[in-house]
Amino acid sequence: MNLPQLITVFSEALFDTDRERALRLAREAVNEGITPEEVVFDVVIPALEQQTTALGETLELNLAQHFLTSQIAAAVTEEMVSRFQRAPAFIGQGVAGIPRFPRAPALTGRVVIGSAQGDLHTLGKRIVLSCLRAQMIECSDLGVNVPPERFVTEAVSQQAPVIAISAMMVHTALGENGCLKVRQLLKEQGLEGRIKIIVGGAPFRFDPQLCQRIQADAWAEDGIKAGKVITKLFQEVRP
Amino acid sequence: MMTGMQRLAAAINGTESDRIPVFCNLLDQGAGALGMPLEEYYSRGECVAEAQLRMRDKYGHDNVWSLFYVGKEAELLGCRKILFASDGPPNVEEWVIKSLDDVQRLQVPSDVSSHPAFEEGLKCLRLLRQEVGGKYPICAYLTASMALPALLMGMEKWMELLFLGPAGVRDELLARCHEFFVKELLAYRNAGADVLVYSNPFGSTDIVPRKFFLEHSLPWIEKDVRAVGTPGLVYYCGMSRMNPVLATVLERTGIGVYYLGPFDDVREGKEILAGRALTCGVINDIRLIDWSREEIRREVKRIIEAGRPGGRFLFGTGVMPCGIPEANIRTMLEAAYEFGSDENGRIR
Repeated sequence: MNLPQLITVFSEALFDTDRERALRLAREAVNEGITPEEVVFDVVIPALEQQTTALGETLELNLAQHFLTSQIAAAVTEEMVSRFQRAPAFIGQGVAGIPRFPRAPALTGRVVIGSAQGDLHTLGKRIVLSCLRAQMIECSDLGVNVPPERFVTEAVSQQAPVIAISAMMVHTALGENGCLKVRQLLKEQGLEGRIKIIVGGAPFRFDPQLCQRIQADAWAEDGIKAGKVITKLFQEVRP
Repeated sequence: MMTGMQRLAAAINGTESDRIPVFCNLLDQGAGALGMPLEEYYSRGECVAEAQLRMRDKYGHDNVWSLFYVGKEAELLGCRKILFASDGPPNVEEWVIKSLDDVQRLQVPSDVSSHPAFEEGLKCLRLLRQEVGGKYPICAYLTASMALPALLMGMEKWMELLFLGPAGVRDELLARCHEFFVKELLAYRNAGADVLVYSNPFGSTDIVPRKFFLEHSLPWIEKDVRAVGTPGLVYYCGMSRMNPVLATVLERTGIGVYYLGPFDDVREGKEILAGRALTCGVINDIRLIDWSREEIRREVKRIIEAGRPGGRFLFGTGVMPCGIPEANIRTMLEAAYEFGSDENGRIR
């Protein structure tokens, strides 16, 4: 099976939320000579992007499918990464003692992610986490009910250029201890150029303009789009 | 002037009325109305009743609520920790089901009405019934069997169990949740609640695939409805869309009232129901936080113009966030009263 064929059948397996078929396809591809790196970058990530297209065109991708799809994509990526011929590293960072390959697998950047203070919801965050991991973005999960100060200190200490804040309720999305406070702390510490904020959660789906109101740099309506938006934010951050 | 109950009855029966019924779901705002912190407010049933009555008098809408917060149902099933905020709904902080083994240990109260966690709710219902019983519909909120586990173990873990976990444990949990749903509904009905909002996000194909809906959600919905009957029942998917399942739910359950999601096409919903049930057109109330007066009026007009022709229509809100300015609540309601009536003061 060539790569375009594999993308098609893998996408079908994802859309059908058929975990076993997706894993089997990835394993068979590796056995046939496609590298694990190619499976992740040329199959899993494009297939996830096709899900977004499906969502836009047919509005048929529902929450359960999104959840299951993200879990399957993350599982396949995790297994493929374990077979990578060199450990993933951030773009531009070398890993001493590990041989180079023509196509070095790269983590595109690091994100600290958590639910806003007062918010105990985990499902949306988990979907986003899985999608980001499937797209080779390294994530540090700070959990739920995360104080704004912690978002900032963790982003600084982990050298994460993006803070992702999940809020499933209007008051945690708009409240003074959510994104607004994170923005204020970044400002006070002169970090605005180095650290960007992305938000997500139900209130933003009902009113995307809330994103501006709380001074976030961006929002994403699902985990797949979050990967694209975060990748763009990585590029906007000053080195 | 007609009462809210008369307007609701007229809308359900398709008879003449002075205007369409307007439901405005103000919950946490009650604490502000009484100048109290939310935690104290929700600890006293008489406060909740008093605030509901005051807010209805102030704004003139057609319903009052007996709901404190959704986590109350988890408290009835053993939850001991609720996280209170100053400006939004309380949340379950400690899950009743922390591992799959806990499913077997889940205790459904033999009598919901006599459970300590129901005491303040009963007090509230008694006062509401005493003050506005028969005049304004008293609403109660009931989480469907399939949605209740999300309050007991979190949505993430419930999705895992529902789609990936052992079917035996899943079915056992659903059976216990069904048992609770039936007892809770009957307790509310006996206490005088008129409008029983049957809340079930899993009854929407925004949340689950249509195949899953037909094979799993629908049978549990049928089971719930069969056990309690349809009087007073309102089908609600927690702000998710329901048009794609409307015809099926109506035909299979006979539920008579459908509270659409704000992203449902109201005109399409009415066409599907075709006069066989009451359609509720719902505004995207999160937008009320920022919308201008003109935007609010335009949106209310759009919804009512889509839903009013042919009658059997109600205008409603979701659970209004605390952040909506009072002036915007008034603007929305005044627009609903204006566009929901005729110049001659009679509509059909």
